[in-house]
Amino acid sequence: MSERAVRATNQGFGRVLVVIYAIFAIGATSRSVIQIAGRFDEAPIAYSLSALAAVVYIVATIALARGNRTSRKVAYVAVGIEMAGVLIIGAISVIFPEAFPRATVWSNFGSGYLFIPLVLPPVALWWLRRTE
Amino acid sequence: MTGAFSTATIIVGLAVAAWAAVYLIMGRSVGRYLQGAELLLAAMFVVLAIGGIAQMLGTDREFARAEFVGYLLLSPLIPVGAWWWSKNDETRAGSAVVLVVGLVMPVLVVRIQQVWAGV
Repeated sequence: MSERAVRATNQGFGRVLVVIYAIFAIGATSRSVIQIAGRFDEAPIAYSLSALAAVVYIVATIALARGNRTSRKVAYVAVGIEMAGVLIIGAISVIFPEAFPRATVWSNFGSGYLFIPLVLPPVALWWLRRTE
Repeated sequence: MTGAFSTATIIVGLAVAAWAAVYLIMGRSVGRYLQGAELLLAAMFVVLAIGGIAQMLGTDREFARAEFVGYLLLSPLIPVGAWWWSKNDETRAGSAVVLVVGLVMPVLVVRIQQVWAGV
């Protein structure tokens, strides 16, 4: 045990963060299952990215909810991928709209979801730093 | 799907959110009554799911059926999950969890109604 105990990521504000991540995980997963099962040929890249986003949200939710040392590292990686995803996919979808004929959760920086996908990763990174 | 019961679900969701907001401001944790309200909200979504699927089977109209059923079946899990996740929290963070869920649920009802209407 270190002298200053590491604060868990799943307490206090972290509990709210976990719930928001969980809702996005459920939403992104179910959306991507329907997209891939029903109409994958329409937009394979967009739908593959939806699936990737879903996995990232699931991993981030579990990692933040577990709140131990290892899960903190996993959370950093997942949230980092999410941050990169929303910025890169967001930018590509604005500059080359034809690349994404169908929306993903990260298209247009998450504008279809009140920009929560854009706000969530910096907030999660701040929280991970703060609880360190 | 657009009847009085859906409206009641929206109102209960918003009422739970308002209640949780008061607790959050007061710095209170989720008490047993607010926990009961969360479960009531979950139960209403179960009824909404059963009613919605029954209504869907009774019509030949074209709309995104898989999406509709997906929304209806997964929605009740959110208030149940929030109930479980907030129940063991003795700080006001539990109330904040219920607040978020209370706000998300009415949005889900509206989204389900949009899918039903074929939007």
